[in-house]
Amino acid sequence: MEKSPPQRGPTLGLYLGLIVTILAVLAYAGYITRQFSGLRKLQGEMVDRNRKDSLQLLRIQNDLNSLGLAMRDMLDASEPYPLIAWTAQFDRTRNDLSAALRQEENLAEATRTSDQRRYLTQSLTQFWDACDRMFSQAQNGQEQAAREQIRDTLQPQQAALSSAVSRLLVQNNEGEEQAAARIAEIYDRVQRQLYYFLAAILLAIVVTSLYMIRYNRRIFAHVAELSLQRSELAQKLIATQESTLRHISRELHDEFGQVLTAIGSLLRRADKDMPENSALREDLQEVREIAQTTLNNIRSLSQALHPVLLEEAGLESTLDWYIPTVERQTGLALHYEKSGQAFPLETSASVQLYRLVQEALNNVARHSGAKEAWVRLRFQPASLELEVEDRGKGFAPPAGHTGIGLVAMRERAEILGGTLKVTPIAGGGTLVQIHIPRERAETHGE
Amino acid sequence: MKRRDFIRQAVGAGLIHAAFPRALPAAPAGFRFVDVTSNAGLRFQHNSGAYGGKLLPETLGSGCAFLDYDADGWQDILLVNSMDWPGHKRQRTTMKLYRNNRNGTFTDVTQAAGLDVEMYGMGVAVGDYNNDGFPDIFISCVGQSRLFRNTGKGTFRDVTKASGLLGKQGLSSSAIWFDYDRDGFLDLFVCNYVHWTAETDVFCSLDGKNKSYCTPEAYRGDTCWLYHNRGNGTFEDVTATSGIFDSSSKSLGVAMLDYDQDGWPDLLVANDTQPNKLYRNLHNGKFKDAAVEAGLAFSVDGKARAGMGVDVADYDNSGKPGIIITNFDNEMIGLYRKTGQAYDDVAMQTGLGAASRNTLGFGCVFFDADLDGLLDIAVANGHIDDTVRHIRGNVGYAQPAQLFLNLGRGKFRDIAGDIGGGYDLPKVGRGLAVGDFDHDGDQDLLLTTNNGPAFLYRNDQLSGNRSIRFHLIGTKSNRDAIGANVRIFFNGQTELRVVRSGSSYLSQSELPVMFGVGKQDVIDRVVVDWPSGQSQEHQKLKTGKAYQIIENKGIKEIFQF
Repeated sequence: MEKSPPQRGPTLGLYLGLIVTILAVLAYAGYITRQFSGLRKLQGEMVDRNRKDSLQLLRIQNDLNSLGLAMRDMLDASEPYPLIAWTAQFDRTRNDLSAALRQEENLAEATRTSDQRRYLTQSLTQFWDACDRMFSQAQNGQEQAAREQIRDTLQPQQAALSSAVSRLLVQNNEGEEQAAARIAEIYDRVQRQLYYFLAAILLAIVVTSLYMIRYNRRIFAHVAELSLQRSELAQKLIATQESTLRHISRELHDEFGQVLTAIGSLLRRADKDMPENSALREDLQEVREIAQTTLNNIRSLSQALHPVLLEEAGLESTLDWYIPTVERQTGLALHYEKSGQAFPLETSASVQLYRLVQEALNNVARHSGAKEAWVRLRFQPASLELEVEDRGKGFAPPAGHTGIGLVAMRERAEILGGTLKVTPIAGGGTLVQIHIPRERAETHGE
Repeated sequence: MKRRDFIRQAVGAGLIHAAFPRALPAAPAGFRFVDVTSNAGLRFQHNSGAYGGKLLPETLGSGCAFLDYDADGWQDILLVNSMDWPGHKRQRTTMKLYRNNRNGTFTDVTQAAGLDVEMYGMGVAVGDYNNDGFPDIFISCVGQSRLFRNTGKGTFRDVTKASGLLGKQGLSSSAIWFDYDRDGFLDLFVCNYVHWTAETDVFCSLDGKNKSYCTPEAYRGDTCWLYHNRGNGTFEDVTATSGIFDSSSKSLGVAMLDYDQDGWPDLLVANDTQPNKLYRNLHNGKFKDAAVEAGLAFSVDGKARAGMGVDVADYDNSGKPGIIITNFDNEMIGLYRKTGQAYDDVAMQTGLGAASRNTLGFGCVFFDADLDGLLDIAVANGHIDDTVRHIRGNVGYAQPAQLFLNLGRGKFRDIAGDIGGGYDLPKVGRGLAVGDFDHDGDQDLLLTTNNGPAFLYRNDQLSGNRSIRFHLIGTKSNRDAIGANVRIFFNGQTELRVVRSGSSYLSQSELPVMFGVGKQDVIDRVVVDWPSGQSQEHQKLKTGKAYQIIENKGIKEIFQF
């Protein structure tokens, strides 16, 4: 099945995910800021103010209680001091009460009705007026009248004031409870939104991840497909190349070889018909030699392009012929070792193995600078192993850059279901190892 | 362990580490205490009168004093005692006066001195109210307090009635002599705790069945008393007219200080469960409470603490009076430092706060224990409730006394465990006073316990630090020079001491002032600002000596150490 490659990269999707995440964060930050500013306002303007007001009310209440206790002591007959002795104590409380009232009025401005404010102020004014009268009577020696003033006026007024302050405290307490409920509501809302936010972020992460996974799988599948296509292409190329070379080789051998052989025969006959020592006979002799040389060259080229030996006598014999040929052509000293129990090879496998040896030796001659090399052919019970080793400077290409020769060698090995391994030898040189499963070498055929 | 728990623990450990850094390695204290109570011949046993009735005064203990009653230059000792309650008589107990034999021992001269009088005594204030050169004794009592005039012949005469002090009943606690109108005659201020009599004792109970001691909330407060010395041996009650009157106070400790540094003595009163009072002297015979403005009325969290003892001194050599107030357990000591016009409680920063969280402090004194020129703090601790261990496991009835060494730079460290003498052994401490009874140039410690013995701890210097001592005699000022400011100057350093009566808790330290000077051999000068307003200066004085300075007359060496 032909798969279509990805039409676009993941960048757009990722950008989209990022934008969605940033927007979600910004939206949530804005929401939280708004909620917190509301909370701060509520706490600052209502709760804190309310608490401060309550503290001042408690201070007022405490002062009123102190006055109550002082008046109780004043009426205690066992107290040795005259009523006037309490003046300083009352003055102290009065000063504190006035300061507390001033602060309380500022704090409670928004929540207090004018009636409440007026009542508190007027009641206190009346209380202090009565106090002043009481101390004035005490100063003038009218202790009894002063005591009556305390009992009949001051103590009831103090109690009424105390009740009024208590009511305000209760009112503040209720306000505080309402504010606390509203604060709790805000916290709940923020908590709920936080969960939504976290869920949205989680969703964005999951969607982006799934998208990435899917995209990666498609990429990998595409890469595998490309690799397969490339391999098929390479194998077709190799097959085409072999077929072409075999064809050219046969054409050269059969057509040109026979023509040149016929020319040679004709020339030899013509030569016999020519008188001895004639100039033409010498010319014919020369032409016949040229034809023979050309025939030899054609045969060599034909053999080089596709050794007929491979098909007729197999790989072993071909190598027996080929290796001395290479020695002769290149000046390399080659050590050919053959081991194991030989088994017959498919011609196509022989061709590939021959090409592998050819390419490996070609590399040794062209790149290694070595003076000698080793070719080993091992028939193993389950495989066929071929090694070409040199002690030169090696021909391994730079890392990350594979030459076309090596690619073709690997493809040839893979056509036979085998592997190709190129290993640098410590101290210089290269070892090329080819491993072909026996059944592929034996059974492979076209 | 869950990660959350781990984080919580790690954060907790970090916070704890930050709040309570590892204790500094203990440096040698430079002095040691030796318990010489028995060797000195002090065989005293306080009798609270406790018979099971759990009456409030039984918890309060009694005071002590260093005084030179025979004017021989050697500090004698007075230990106040209480007595059995009426109807529960088992023994006869009286206060004890011990004469200094000048060889480290004392002789009980109570009977010979005429002080062999039974009373439910609480505190003591020593002052020469008639300027005859011999210190007189005021004993605050449950019921009628007493004034004993020193005849100058080794005896005392009860002049309570003759002086006009008879008739006022109360549960009186600490008292102090001071010359509030600067007329040269010492006036008397007496603290009263609560309105209490055996008949009106309230039934309080922890378990709903058995009676226990009540906290002061169960009782009405009572005003302190101010008695003006007319100069003719009699006193006038000016409580009401002076602005001192306050029926809400529940006072236990009192100390004199010049809060506004105007030369007129002010008073600081430590109240139990009520705001402390700072009576500012208005120079016209009247006082005005300025405790709230001064930051002394309440704790930093606005609570009226259970103030017990109080002392005042320039502990940081800033020239301004610092204040210590002992409080209930879980309330911490208050150590106040003046910044601007008001005081800040610096107990936490200085190390006193955390160290006093589980102690109930009573007596407290500033004194230079190691003579390094920085005033240290001694505190007597002990609970009021003998069953407190059942309620609060980490707080005991008997508690170790503490000695906070002034390390300088505003830091103190409790070294009670390092100085020996059994000073840090748990005891039900109450009264505390300092005085150099053995003339060795350092101040020794006298500590009383509730319903137990008194302890005399001799201070022995080990570091070679020196001191200089001044015994002041007023001529225009009151003869005891109470209220005089004494400043010494050396090496660019200044130290200030004030001649003070009362202070601590129910107790009084010696009147002469003592300065630690480290290794200094000579001080540049001493300046005395007398209560009369006069100033006097003397230069180039050798240390290691005691001097007598007479107002407007001069200075003379009286002994060396």
